[in-house]
Amino acid sequence: MSRLLVVDDEANIRLLYAEELKDEGYEVVTAASSAEATEKLQKGAFDLAVLDIKLKNESGIDLLQKLVKERHDMPVILCSAFSCYKDDFSAWLADGYVVKSGDLTELKQEIARLLAKKMQKEKTKL
Amino acid sequence: MDQECCCWNKDGIKQADCPEIGAGEEDLLVSKRQRNLDKCCECPRFLHDLKQLHDDANPLAAILTSFLEEYRRQKNQIQSLVSFLDIKTLEIRFLHELGSVLQSSVDLDEVLSVALTAITSGKGFGMNRAFLLLCDRKEGMLNGYLGIGPRNLEEASQVWNEIVQNDMDLQTLAQNFRLNKLSSERAKFHDLLEQLTVPLSNKEHILIKALDGKRPIMVEGAFQHPDVPPELARLLGVDTFLLMPLISRNRRVGMIIADNFITHRTITEEDMHSLETFGFPVAFAIERASLYDKLQIELNRVTEAGKKLKEQQELIVRMENMALVGRITSSIAHSVRNPLMIIGGFARSMLKNSPASDPKRTFIESIVAETRQLEGVLDEILNYSDSLYPTRDFWDVNQLVETVLRDTADNLTSLGYATTYLPGHNLSPVYIDFKQLSYCLRTVLQNDIAGIGADRSIVIHSENGADGVILMVEDHSRDISQAELDHLLVPFSETRDLGAGLGLALCKTMLEKQGVLFVAQADAHDGIRYTITLPTRKEEHS
Repeated sequence: MSRLLVVDDEANIRLLYAEELKDEGYEVVTAASSAEATEKLQKGAFDLAVLDIKLKNESGIDLLQKLVKERHDMPVILCSAFSCYKDDFSAWLADGYVVKSGDLTELKQEIARLLAKKMQKEKTKL
Repeated sequence: MDQECCCWNKDGIKQADCPEIGAGEEDLLVSKRQRNLDKCCECPRFLHDLKQLHDDANPLAAILTSFLEEYRRQKNQIQSLVSFLDIKTLEIRFLHELGSVLQSSVDLDEVLSVALTAITSGKGFGMNRAFLLLCDRKEGMLNGYLGIGPRNLEEASQVWNEIVQNDMDLQTLAQNFRLNKLSSERAKFHDLLEQLTVPLSNKEHILIKALDGKRPIMVEGAFQHPDVPPELARLLGVDTFLLMPLISRNRRVGMIIADNFITHRTITEEDMHSLETFGFPVAFAIERASLYDKLQIELNRVTEAGKKLKEQQELIVRMENMALVGRITSSIAHSVRNPLMIIGGFARSMLKNSPASDPKRTFIESIVAETRQLEGVLDEILNYSDSLYPTRDFWDVNQLVETVLRDTADNLTSLGYATTYLPGHNLSPVYIDFKQLSYCLRTVLQNDIAGIGADRSIVIHSENGADGVILMVEDHSRDISQAELDHLLVPFSETRDLGAGLGLALCKTMLEKQGVLFVAQADAHDGIRYTITLPTRKEEHS
């Protein structure tokens, strides 16, 4: 079972993601801030992270840069209310970008695609 | 002495008494003193009586003869002075006329026409030819600028006859020259003027010597003259010519070379002095006209700069207003997005888990549909507020297309679309907002993915065009009329196939704001062709 980390400052969004992604067969761990995410990342390994760009007074982009540096084998999907960040250079570090929507189909497709890609990569390594 | 027969001694005489008095001089018949002064002293009768006095050894005879000679000498002198004054009066009138024209004009061509016409016209200085050379201080050169006069005897006869027949005053002549002959004279002497070019630093050249000396030089025996370069003598083809420097307030303005190429009339010292007097107002007028030209250019620049400044100020005010609206819009949209997502997300979740027979399912479906529509509106509002601040730079078109194709590849492939990109060779960098262009290209591609045709292929070409780089997107799957497509380019329009909202209309607005030309053409048999012309220069987007 793939383990996902969802980072969003909105409790209801974390709940929605957790419910929906659990239904898809993933193990979901949620975090409300960068600090909480870092703590959870230190405690265990994750197959993929879903990050909100705006985290109250923090930036999800900073966390993204940290993850790319420290966990470069873990795909990261950026989730944002703004589609404009998609073309922002700083967001190009992410493996995927999804505009927040009540319809989670795109997010689910992106998670599945990146996990399959990661798995393929690991197989090739072996 | 026979007093009776001598008419010179009578107070009053009759017309028949004096053959020297002609018509119009009748007052002399009654004025003895004036008659004696004007007529008698040259009259053979008077001279005869004077001789008689000599013969009689009258001592008055010698004194009278001496007085008579002195009187004649002074009379001749007065007459020559009167002639001299007449000539000078004419000259002053001419210079006054010339000065009036020169002082009232700030048009360089008009000033030059007047100056050169004055030198060459019979009513002026009557020289055959004149060449004007102007100083180019920036380049440090004295350059031939304009020539006037005939090139051969035949042309001279024709021009001079024409002038005599028309009998025009100087101002009319100059005006006529300016309107009808200025260009042709310039062209006629083009070869000669081109060679009349001397660096101002060449202090040994006779033209520069005259200019630096600020005095006219009369060149005689030009072909053997030690100071005259042989090529200058050959070029002018005359042995004698006059160099008149044009100096205005100690500044070197230019030079006039005048000669009598056709008539070979001697150029006198008097001609030279007259021309020297004439040179000052001409130099001043030329300099003033040149300065006026420069002033006009500067004025236009300042006016243009003022206009641009005003536009910029208006733009800043507008942008400030737009920025405020944009920030508010963006903030509201962002605040609305999360709750909307939560409502829509949970509604979908509930819908997924509710049985088909659940009567509340319809309500939940309504919530899902409404939130979907609201999310669509939000997307457009956010995209529009983002479009208010284009950030342009030079970009590679291939990078743009490849990035967008990479982003949309999965989606397009899953819907059965095949995309092909045919990049052009040596494409110029384009000056665009990369983010906005990416958005627009994605919209163009994704707007088409609900296509209904059998041929689901999209071909993208790029090539260098006259107005920029042309990006062409051909979607062969569509079956849409031009009217329907045009309707789609109007905000919030709705069509049968392509849905509602801003979509393509927003793209068109965003692109046009950047100076990007966006054309959408529908072909009933071949789908839709989008032509996007991307600017390659900064100026094209102002």
